[in-house]
Amino acid sequence: MSPPIPYVNSADLHALLPTTVIAAAGLLALVVDLFMSAGRARRWIAVAIAAAGLVIAGVLTAQQYGHSYPAFGGAYMQGGFAVVLGEIAIFATLVSLGLGIGIGRDDQVAGTTAIVLWSTCGALLMAGAGNLMMIFLGLELLSLGLYCLCAMSVRSAARESGLKYLLLSSMASGFLLYGMALLFGGTGSVALAAISAAPPSPLIALGAGLFLVGIAFKLSLVPFHSWTPDVYEGAPLSVTAYMSVVTKAGALGVLGRFAYAALPPATANAILLPVWTVAAISMIVGNLAALQQIDMKRLLAYSGIGQVGYIVAAFAGQTPLGLRYAIFYLAAYTFMNLGAFAVVALMLKDADGSLGVGAFAGLAYRRPWLAAAMTFFLLSLAGLPPTAGFTGKILILASSVGAGYWWLSVLLIAGTAISVYVYFKIVRAMFVRVDEAHVRAERSTNPLPWISIAVCAAAVFVLGIYPLAPSDIIPLAK
Amino acid sequence: MTGLVTALVLGPILVGFVLYALPKGADAGAKWAGVAVAALAVALTLGNPHTPDDSVPWLARPFGAAFHFGFGAISYWIVVLLQVATFSALVALRATRLREYTAQMLVLLGAMTGVFLAKDLLLFALFWDLMLVPVFLLMVGWGLPGGGPRRAGTAAWRYLIYNLAGGLCLLLATAAFGIVHGSTDVIGNPDAHVVIGNVWGAWIFAGFAFAFLVKTPVFPFHTWMPATYGELPPPVVAVVSGIQSKAGLYGFIVIGLPFFAEQMRAATPLVVALGIISLLYGAFTALAQSDAKRVVAYSSLSHLGLILIAIFSFDQVAIAGAVVYIVAHGLFSAALFLVLGYVEEREETRSLQRLGGLGYGNPRLAGALVFAALAALGLPGLAGFAGELLILTGLYHAGFGAVALIALVPIVVAAAYMLRLFQGIMNGPKVADLPERRDLTWIEGLAVAPLVLGFILLGIDPAPVAGLASDAARALTGPQTPVSHRAQPRRSETESAYVAADSVR
Repeated sequence: MSPPIPYVNSADLHALLPTTVIAAAGLLALVVDLFMSAGRARRWIAVAIAAAGLVIAGVLTAQQYGHSYPAFGGAYMQGGFAVVLGEIAIFATLVSLGLGIGIGRDDQVAGTTAIVLWSTCGALLMAGAGNLMMIFLGLELLSLGLYCLCAMSVRSAARESGLKYLLLSSMASGFLLYGMALLFGGTGSVALAAISAAPPSPLIALGAGLFLVGIAFKLSLVPFHSWTPDVYEGAPLSVTAYMSVVTKAGALGVLGRFAYAALPPATANAILLPVWTVAAISMIVGNLAALQQIDMKRLLAYSGIGQVGYIVAAFAGQTPLGLRYAIFYLAAYTFMNLGAFAVVALMLKDADGSLGVGAFAGLAYRRPWLAAAMTFFLLSLAGLPPTAGFTGKILILASSVGAGYWWLSVLLIAGTAISVYVYFKIVRAMFVRVDEAHVRAERSTNPLPWISIAVCAAAVFVLGIYPLAPSDIIPLAK
Repeated sequence: MTGLVTALVLGPILVGFVLYALPKGADAGAKWAGVAVAALAVALTLGNPHTPDDSVPWLARPFGAAFHFGFGAISYWIVVLLQVATFSALVALRATRLREYTAQMLVLLGAMTGVFLAKDLLLFALFWDLMLVPVFLLMVGWGLPGGGPRRAGTAAWRYLIYNLAGGLCLLLATAAFGIVHGSTDVIGNPDAHVVIGNVWGAWIFAGFAFAFLVKTPVFPFHTWMPATYGELPPPVVAVVSGIQSKAGLYGFIVIGLPFFAEQMRAATPLVVALGIISLLYGAFTALAQSDAKRVVAYSSLSHLGLILIAIFSFDQVAIAGAVVYIVAHGLFSAALFLVLGYVEEREETRSLQRLGGLGYGNPRLAGALVFAALAALGLPGLAGFAGELLILTGLYHAGFGAVALIALVPIVVAAAYMLRLFQGIMNGPKVADLPERRDLTWIEGLAVAPLVLGFILLGIDPAPVAGLASDAARALTGPQTPVSHRAQPRRSETESAYVAADSVR
């Protein structure tokens, strides 16, 4: 049983400080926008305020590193891996806003920016959530914002995307909520730690199962993935980039804490085995489906399904190192995935548009640096050296082999082999000599994605060869 | 000189990227900068054979790993071969977009140097996968004149998918090896040599073996090879066939022998059978090819089968012979592919049915080809013979007498297909409608010269390579050799290596 909360002290508020700063930045952006005249400057001001808030929040989050504290009676666990997941979410938000400098028309940008920031608050809460209520609060805060953002553009595909996301995601929330109710009924507590202490009962197993279905939906693991490609394709590029990282960071935080801290050790393996199975299926099916895609956003959606499969596979066996490697790979995925999105953004004139794989034809001869960057990110996504994707994959392999999950590691290799074909299709297109006249070559006028590309490429390289054990730079906590 | 070994690996890669930053028209400058890098690498390697290892820690958990580079007894001469072959290939480069071409070749040089100089298994796996990328890009960007990008694409896919399947198995095996052994910083370190004997051993070895067999390649994993060798531009195929294909054999020697001796012995019948099939299949298929490049490609399959058998004989002399033959084969197959590339450039075909009579107008070209072909068919006095003799002696010594007898067949057939190749191109009546071009220019000669010089020198005196390899082979096979009739005369085995070497003189 969690103790009653007698009062809220300053340490509790301090734990939520980064979240508070981001939320306040959203409000500030809205208020300042009221006093702006029409024009392109509005976009920049709103995004600049958001960026300032995010940077401050990033610094504040970093200061929590190593200071674990169960705020609000254990509802929010400050420190631990929440710090890393929080930084990932903050970084992804920053990059996404920069891809098209805000989302939507000039007069919409302040509003959308505020929504993005508040969604990020939801992801931060999820990453640190220590009880079921906080998990649900964070999840809904994140999702509600995304429903709007997906439908932001005037294209009908975007509206379809928003509605589809709303319907399917609500259903997932229903599963999650039902599972939570059963867990609460079975244990009499909403705190994750209390669930693990309760004696095993069918109620807990059923509740945990429903809960995990909901999470698998949010992580878009196969067979709960069907919404992802459509939503990714319809949403504006910035939103797609944002969703591909931030929702995953939040949901993986929840899954990690649930798998490691909430399940009674005696039954955990039986309850989680379906999750590993689903992860294994995701690696294969996600990459197989990506083979046929010709739209970049859809391709990255399916590839993301496979990538999440790898990350979840690292949890298998619930070894402490596995948790670290999952987070390491998530960080690697963040950089390589956002890097690829930034390249796509630079190839679009209008940040709202879509890009076919064909647009990459001959890119190496038209824009060699952009092609080199894309090749590097694709190598990393495929798990080839010298990148973070390679190191991350070897760590996950080592973790799953060490935990006795041979079959997972073999399927991971199989999935990777398929994914190579997916990613090298683009690499090949970039390096084949083509007739320039047939290629629809667009350029973005926004220089910000170049900064993202530089940062992401550096991070992908450094994480790939970091000379100290990467396991030692990522804190481990429940 | 500390840091030299690392520089040999990273230097070419870095220069490759710098070349990309050059202005677009700087083609000739880029090419000769690349040549200078390769020449410098050869000079530094030959000048500092006793350079200490470089090691920087990498992973501490879940297993130890390090950025550990160093010269090894087996790898030293292979790396020299690699650098010489890359030098030749770069001198011979003639294409559009030379700047990018040279840059990719340098990345390939660095990555492959990394494979052979890595003393850490994880690092080995890293470069193993990395070296596929430049070859893929070269094949996509410059593959085959006249065939159109679609066909080159198919060969490139086949190359990538086959080799990456091997590379991924290698990666999984490496991870499992690290978990079981506790560290991957083990190559060439006698203190770390433990035979991985439990249930895991067989599976881990299977992973490594698959990667190595695909890379070599050995029947039935060879199907990517003829297309790849056919479609790659000649300078690249000289490096890929000459050296990249040896990475698997090298892996069997430095990883298989010390850690998986048990499993290798268990697998010997199977692998020797595959080796014999490759030997015979390669030789007889080469006899029937009309595409000049494919003749050499299939001869490669045949020769490498012999080396594979030699390694699995666990005999010190045979393994020393294998290393000599690895270097020799690298030299003459690189020379053959370069010369065939010149022929193709001049006559715009490489069909033996169409070619003929080139020798009259091109005596220097004919001379280069005849030297390379004679080395390939194992003429005494040239490098191929030294390797073959050591291998056959060792095989006989190790109780593989029957195999040694079978191995004589393809050696005889080699004479047939190599002479057929030479005669088909150079001899016979002049073909009237073939374009008349000028003979080998001095730059083209400069490209082939180091290779020809190499296999003449190695043929006259294989002792530097054989001696080093023989000592290493003793260390690798020594502790695991069971007490048997052939474990006893260890001293005389060493001698026989030198006797064999002497007889070549």
